Amino acid sequence: MAQELKSINLVAPAFKGINTEDSPLAQDPSFAEIADNAVIDKRGRIAARKGHSVLTTDKTALGSGTVRVIKEFDRSVGSNVILSAGNSKIFTGTTTLTDATPGGYTITADNWKIVNFNDKAYLFQASQAPLVYDGTSVVRLDSVAGAAGVVQGNEVLSAFGRLWVTGVSSNPSVIYWSDLLIGHDYSGGTSGSIDISKVWPDGYDEIVALAAHNGLLIIFGKHSIVTYSGAEAPATMALADTVAGVGCVNRDTVQYTGTDVLFLAHTGLKSFGRTVQEKSLPISSLSGNITKDIISALQSENTFFRSVYSPEESFYLLTFVGQNITYCFDVRGTLENGSYRVTRWLSTGFSSYAREENGDLLIGTNNGISQYTGYEDNGATYRFKYYSPSLTFGDASRIKILKKLKPTLVGANNASVFIKWAYDFKSNYATAEFTVGDQITGFYGVSEYTTVEFTGGALTNQRSLNATGYGTSVVVGLEADIKGSQLSLQEINVMALIGKLL
Amino acid sequence: MGPFPTVQPPVEEESKSGFFDFLGGLTDFLGNNTSVLPGVLGGLLTGEAYGRLSDVGKEARMGADELAQRQLEMSQFKPFTVTTATGSGFGSMMGADGGLQTTMTLSPEEQALQQQLFGGAGDFFGQATQPTDEREQEIFKRMRTAMSPEEQRQRLEQEQRMAAQGRLGVRTAQFGGTPEQLALAKAQEEARNSAMLGAMQQARQEQMQQAALGQQFLGAGYMPQQQLVAGLQPGLGQQQLEQQSRQFGSGMFGEATMSGLEAMLSSEMARANLLGGVGANLLSGAVTPKPAFGMSDLLGLLGKG
Repeated sequence: MAQELKSINLVAPAFKGINTEDSPLAQDPSFAEIADNAVIDKRGRIAARKGHSVLTTDKTALGSGTVRVIKEFDRSVGSNVILSAGNSKIFTGTTTLTDATPGGYTITADNWKIVNFNDKAYLFQASQAPLVYDGTSVVRLDSVAGAAGVVQGNEVLSAFGRLWVTGVSSNPSVIYWSDLLIGHDYSGGTSGSIDISKVWPDGYDEIVALAAHNGLLIIFGKHSIVTYSGAEAPATMALADTVAGVGCVNRDTVQYTGTDVLFLAHTGLKSFGRTVQEKSLPISSLSGNITKDIISALQSENTFFRSVYSPEESFYLLTFVGQNITYCFDVRGTLENGSYRVTRWLSTGFSSYAREENGDLLIGTNNGISQYTGYEDNGATYRFKYYSPSLTFGDASRIKILKKLKPTLVGANNASVFIKWAYDFKSNYATAEFTVGDQITGFYGVSEYTTVEFTGGALTNQRSLNATGYGTSVVVGLEADIKGSQLSLQEINVMALIGKLL
Repeated sequence: MGPFPTVQPPVEEESKSGFFDFLGGLTDFLGNNTSVLPGVLGGLLTGEAYGRLSDVGKEARMGADELAQRQLEMSQFKPFTVTTATGSGFGSMMGADGGLQTTMTLSPEEQALQQQLFGGAGDFFGQATQPTDEREQEIFKRMRTAMSPEEQRQRLEQEQRMAAQGRLGVRTAQFGGTPEQLALAKAQEEARNSAMLGAMQQARQEQMQQAALGQQFLGAGYMPQQQLVAGLQPGLGQQQLEQQSRQFGSGMFGEATMSGLEAMLSSEMARANLLGGVGANLLSGAVTPKPAFGMSDLLGLLGKG
């Protein structure tokens, strides 16, 4: 006797991002088990990330190295300059990476922290004499006229009219601040230092990163945070708050979102929520849906952490360079549990980021400097993946026999799409492949007659694929090789026949 | 002082008997030699008068010498002593060489007090002449000892405030530490400097006080002696009165004695003159021829017969 097909419509699947914390069976279908090379698009759909277009045409100086640091040098007069570092060198420019390393200066690592301050760019990293770039050349900071007391710190912050330097190996709890508006004087004027070794709430810590937010100087330790108010006059600044048990893993994970400061703690991505009235700093967990994954990644990371915040793309990227994993946190809003929607980018080769003043997102790779744009990775395809959590269709005790899968895609022009499904937590996925046609968008008054077909915008492609097999739970996936066109997964309509009780 | 000595006039009887013996002999002679007798007798009388005058002069001189000796003895300085109520004494006497010796002796208690005062004065002067460095340091230490607890409390309070504000580790090029630490340190250093200056002033004042005390002790050390001298004044007055009385008595004695001598001298001179006059008359009568000049005339002349 024929039975009625039960339809489960996965509308905007995975628009809540990845969730690897909850049980797959009990999960909301709005989560995804896997969302690789994906972002949450402007419509709240899971979509393929953008690719990167390499700007560098001459990377001779870089050689076989990788751009580990990128920073836009903002100056009041003249065009901005992109500073980058890799292969134990300092570069200027994007199309041609010009070696700007000071003569006779040996660089042993490319873990620079570069900040803009008073029409100059300052470069700091551990155990390396700091450098300064004035728009013309990069020189040692201690060689600047009037330089005094320059310290070799690993972290530098430009805030409150001064440079704040910390991470000196011999004094891990000391912060040095420069004279007012003079980034090379650390022993004269109103310069000074503060040793917060007696301030740590749990007795001992080491400074990892600094931030300035909401009039506060935020000092990140490894497992505690201390904030000072009144840092405009450092000699009289006073302790405002301390947070024990939460610290920062790496200075390069700290990003400002305008209303928050994001940083990676040992338990995941955290933020300071701004509470003006209470004047306190509640901490919320932003990576609650992938906590274990984050912890595993940060514990395994032995190279660099890199991050960037892009208000234009509405995401915060956190890259574990050594593992070639990037987590993309959508910062437009948080879920019910206070977490950001997160997707994962694998094997991108992204090793550094910088957001330019104009909003462009620069990415460092072994090809030089790229821009986050288009839908190809330097002309190559990359695979977008989506896998749903295990679906039981509301009754885990009955057999489900998939009959049809009807994905609705937006864009994906000329892309090869793979619909996959598997039963009962097995990994032997059945696959149905189709290729989206060459759908060139035509616009009235722009495109030529007979060359393109008039459309209202991005093309929507809906297919109906026959499925096979049965099981009590089903995982549905979609993979696509992105070839220069965006792809958003609007919905997947799963048609299943509900079978007998097991 | 004994009674004034009296000067005895020459013994009258001795001279009188010799003279009448002479006159008896002369009478006998004249009875036998009536013509030469007046001349001889006049010569003898004149010679007798001359001799008497010479004797009177000698006797007057001897009397005057004796008087001077007696007055010198009578006006001789008499040693005396003065003893005050506290037991100290003053003595004045003639030395073996004739010089005047004066001694002042304090009582044992006064001597002990004087020694104590002199010792104290010596100590004070000794301290006053010492360099003030050590005393300055000692006073400074005492002041710092008094000030330190409060300063320590202020430091602790500030340390607690700084710790509460998380600012213990602040070091600035402008202030060294924090502005509050600088202010406190500055205030404490100023107090320290004030204490140092105060200690210097105090040491100098104490030095002056030591000198003043030494002066006072020194003055007080001479006080028994001054009081002895002051107590000597009544005794000296008494002694002067006694001296004046003795000198006055000596003067009176001298005057009286000289009056006797002068009377004796006048009498003797009158007798000598008389005798000389008789002798002269006799000589004159002898060399001038007179018819009869019998013994009766001579006796009538002498008032005898």
